[in-house]
Amino acid sequence: MSTISPVDYAVISQAFLSAAREMGAKLCRAAYSSIVREAKDASTGILNARGEAVAQSDELIPILVGSLSIAFRHCAAACPVEELVEGDFYITNNPYQGGHHLNDVFIFVPIFVDGRLLGFSAAVAHQLDVGGSSTLSNIASDVYQEGLTIPAARYSIARDWNGGPLEKLIAANIRVPDQTIGDINSQFAACRTGVSRVVDLCAKYGTAKILQVMDEMLDYSERRVRTAIAAIPDGTYRAEDTLDDDGVTGHPLTVQVAVTVAGDTMEIDYAGTADQAKSGLNSPFASTVSATLTAIKDIVTGSDVPYNEGTFRPITIKAPLGSFLNPRHPAPVAARMEPIYRAFDSILMALGQAIPERVIACGYDSTYLTSLSILESGGYQVFIEVHGGGWGASAEGDGADGIAQPLSNCTNVPVEMTDMGYDYFRIEEYSLVPDSGGAGRHRGGHGTKRAFRILKDGVRFSIYADRFERPAAGIRGGGSGSPAGCEVVRGNERIPYRSMGSDVLRKGDLLVVRTGGGGGYGAA
Amino acid sequence: MRVGIEIGGTFTDLVAAGPNGLTITKVPSVPARPDEGVFDALDRAGIACEAMVELAHGSTVATNAVLERKGARLAFLVTAGFGDVLTIQRLERRRIFDLLYRKPVPLVARKDAFEIPERTLFDGSIAEPLDTGRIRASLEAFLAAGDYGSVAICLLNSFANPDHERRLAELIRDVDPSLDVTCSYDISREYREYERATTTTMAAYVQPVIAAYLARMESVLASRGFAGNLSIMQSNGARMPAAAMRRNAVTALLSGPAAGVTGAVRQAGLSGIRNLVTLDIGGTSADVCLVVDGKPQLSQEAKIDGLPIRTPMVDIATVGAGGGSLVWADDGGMMRVGPQSAGANPGPACYGRGGTQPTLTDAHVLCGRLRPEARLAGSMQLDVEASRRVFAPIAERFGLEPAAAADSAVQIAIANVVAAIRQVSTERGRDTRDFTLVPFGGAGPLHAAAVAEALHIATVLVPPNAGVISAYGLLVSDHSLFESLTRPIPLDEAAPDRVRDTLGGLRTELAKRIEELGVPGDRLFEMSLDMRFKGQAFEITVPLAEADVPELTRERLLALFAREHEAIYSHGGGVGRNAVEIVSYRVGLHVPQLDRLSMSSSGAETSAEGSCEVFDRGERLDARLLWRGSLRAGQSVQGPAVIEDTTATIWIPKGWRGEIDGHQNLIMRAAA
Repeated sequence: MSTISPVDYAVISQAFLSAAREMGAKLCRAAYSSIVREAKDASTGILNARGEAVAQSDELIPILVGSLSIAFRHCAAACPVEELVEGDFYITNNPYQGGHHLNDVFIFVPIFVDGRLLGFSAAVAHQLDVGGSSTLSNIASDVYQEGLTIPAARYSIARDWNGGPLEKLIAANIRVPDQTIGDINSQFAACRTGVSRVVDLCAKYGTAKILQVMDEMLDYSERRVRTAIAAIPDGTYRAEDTLDDDGVTGHPLTVQVAVTVAGDTMEIDYAGTADQAKSGLNSPFASTVSATLTAIKDIVTGSDVPYNEGTFRPITIKAPLGSFLNPRHPAPVAARMEPIYRAFDSILMALGQAIPERVIACGYDSTYLTSLSILESGGYQVFIEVHGGGWGASAEGDGADGIAQPLSNCTNVPVEMTDMGYDYFRIEEYSLVPDSGGAGRHRGGHGTKRAFRILKDGVRFSIYADRFERPAAGIRGGGSGSPAGCEVVRGNERIPYRSMGSDVLRKGDLLVVRTGGGGGYGAA
Repeated sequence: MRVGIEIGGTFTDLVAAGPNGLTITKVPSVPARPDEGVFDALDRAGIACEAMVELAHGSTVATNAVLERKGARLAFLVTAGFGDVLTIQRLERRRIFDLLYRKPVPLVARKDAFEIPERTLFDGSIAEPLDTGRIRASLEAFLAAGDYGSVAICLLNSFANPDHERRLAELIRDVDPSLDVTCSYDISREYREYERATTTTMAAYVQPVIAAYLARMESVLASRGFAGNLSIMQSNGARMPAAAMRRNAVTALLSGPAAGVTGAVRQAGLSGIRNLVTLDIGGTSADVCLVVDGKPQLSQEAKIDGLPIRTPMVDIATVGAGGGSLVWADDGGMMRVGPQSAGANPGPACYGRGGTQPTLTDAHVLCGRLRPEARLAGSMQLDVEASRRVFAPIAERFGLEPAAAADSAVQIAIANVVAAIRQVSTERGRDTRDFTLVPFGGAGPLHAAAVAEALHIATVLVPPNAGVISAYGLLVSDHSLFESLTRPIPLDEAAPDRVRDTLGGLRTELAKRIEELGVPGDRLFEMSLDMRFKGQAFEITVPLAEADVPELTRERLLALFAREHEAIYSHGGGVGRNAVEIVSYRVGLHVPQLDRLSMSSSGAETSAEGSCEVFDRGERLDARLLWRGSLRAGQSVQGPAVIEDTTATIWIPKGWRGEIDGHQNLIMRAAA
């Protein structure tokens, strides 16, 4: 900070963050994909010339926190940045090259000012469709069945996109090319906004000052993270959390974590974590990193610290290659949300030993996703929902009842909207599950119950979820939340379902979906 | 005499228009008994109640009733199976990295919800009939046990068929006639049960508070001989006769910022300016709003205390950058301004009421834009030494002189305001470069030129008496009513006729209501349709011109939808390939306020001119010091200059020039 004035630093760094946010707003507004527009499953940002993220719109969805730099490194390895010219771009969705699941497509556009490479404007968004065998493909046995892999590489917008060969290749491999190509174009539009904001800043303040601020932004975030870590007592804190079912054999999968705090640094090591699953319940390493950083942001630093590459300097994250938090190619990864929730909760439990006053009990902390579909003469109708569960209790109070889970932020679908839009089921109850939050001085949040009356024969039901057997743990003597469950009431019969699977329902069935409660805080 | 009185958190402002021109008065608010502020202001201004033909009023009474949870004790009746609707809400978290996140607290506790076996479907048909005989005894027992003051009823799909809600209301009146009953059908007829239920509870909750407040005020007014019209400001920027608030008071919530926007729009309109960004900087926050072609942008929903209310509302973005915003250094060594505020009490250190932390107002004092004698905020002399004292630690922290640290804080606050304006403009696809910035509130005109520069806005228009523009807005606002209705239909050949029928019905209903309220004047209708691709979760509001309606065709509706889709999402979304549906209908009825009353400066008839030293953007400048009241039309002022007005202070930076136009607006532009 010796040569840059406080006002220049504050104003220019805020301008970078606001450019990243503006890119995100533009991308979300223009997206066809409702998961981008409504669940904000996207991220945008500005990287420096070394590919280190300087400013990122992390307020969109937690699961993409800190994801840009990792994917970038693989792109730069595929084609060195020195070879880039204006009009080039990098693209990848490869889970084994710093990507998440195949639906998350990354775009990086170089920013040139007066012929000099200053940095990159980046956007990642969840695409509606990337080909593959199924959209709910926890049944895929390898990543090939999950869709088209776009390996990290450099292309030219003029030559390869806008009707060029890469665009044609992608369009030919997906079911909804208009929307998907349209959404990738929105990513390019967001990147153009980022480029023009940086070019404007250079014109206003001079390139030298801008480069100085970009470096200082990394140092600033690093300092704030170090300050926050230094306040945690040194030591190694271990915890584990277990996924109910590997989706194939029915065996559980356990995450092991050791969080080591030493001065102002922190190491998170997932050594001992179970081997990769044969189903899509594997988390690519980048997703594991994002979940870990989200836990640290939630617990240690708060959201006032802008996350960028500087954040990583005092933090080391390791996961054994071949484990379900860092699988080997070509393991399928589509259902990565469940494993990373277990990683998230393991850190919650580990840090709970170090700073119990700042950590909350585990919540339901799972993605509970259901799909109801029917094939009639008019075509397929599909209704997909992600259900909210109970939040963990804290020293401050009870956990929130029925709420979106910590790595995402999906809203529910109004019952009046389902009445209007779907004639093959009707929601008859949407309530909190009484007493499902763990007991304690402060109770955990309650899970939700949604009951669907099936109005036609032949409705296909699919589910992927977790915590049917292992509920959310309490903290400091608080009780566990209730486990989740799912069943069909058919006349006098009750048919329970496991957390992964599908079935065909009959007219008159009542499908009951119950999410779990959060853990309690303190002895009651 | 026509009088506008706006009650704010700290001050109650009065603007009166009479045969002898404008009267402007500012008195301290009486938070515990806000109506006293109204009569204090009238007394101070020397206005006799019998001389008033009109009193337009804006107050925070409804908003405070919600924030302080001092409304009616409510029972809530809801379709069986959905008694938790107010708690479950929409699941989303508004702060996504907050582990201690709590949901907004509903206005009705779960134990006060009563489930009614019945089910109406979205097309108005009945899946399970309501059997009032069957529930009567248990409902009676529930109501008797609860000591309720009001009952809010919201049944699933009641927008399509209000029969069950109406019959329940009758049953309650029969069981206990002392209870007020509010049906969702009379408050909001749009689908999405959580938002409609919350809006209904909100209406029922504030109803008795507003009614008692108005009754008290009307009785004092009557005893003082007032025989004119009393109207109340709404959050949509227009007002309604007080009687309308007895039907639905939700439109009175959050009306404060809207009055200022209306005032700014009208006053700028006199100078022919119709595209503007309003910037209202008061004590705790900066509020910005985008105005296109003389119309403030409306949103169909706003939140109060985290709870949604479905009613058209002036779309205002707020950032914590007001005079009381605190200046601090974070643990990474960055200087920050806000969002924490010193509030009205103790307020900035220079107010001498015990403030010990540096604020934005202190920064302006140290920079020299606010003189000790300026007598801000009601006649106190500002304590410059106190400002210097509280700025010393942060100045030292950054190795700066106090004035330089203060200057940095001002520039950072300006950057925060710029970000808020981007949020309502460029982030929503609006380019503000051709807009005019209209600052108001006591501190708006201090920051406006720098904000404009950062946004590439060429022109700033400072209204006279910018500190009381909200009270002026009350006087010049239209009377407006809005109604909406969810009635989903596919966009097919039959759609145009159904659109005409439905809109016609809503127009007739609004016209009847405004007739009953006795509002004279022209009736102007504004219509729009909420449309979407079949299966989409969100609708797009598509405006329909009056001339469109008689000749409406399916193709025309599709083209209008495509145009709006393109404007919002920058692509047509596949119009022509994907089925489109019309979901809801919206009609607004406006009775324009034709009297083009002009705001004017007041006080200081002296033509004296002084000078002052101002620290601005790293430079120490010798600035002119002028009094707004002494500037005449056509007179031009070259910056750097400080212009003091009775209720606001204006800063013209170096390189800027200001000129008073024929409507007493100060037009500021950067020298080419």
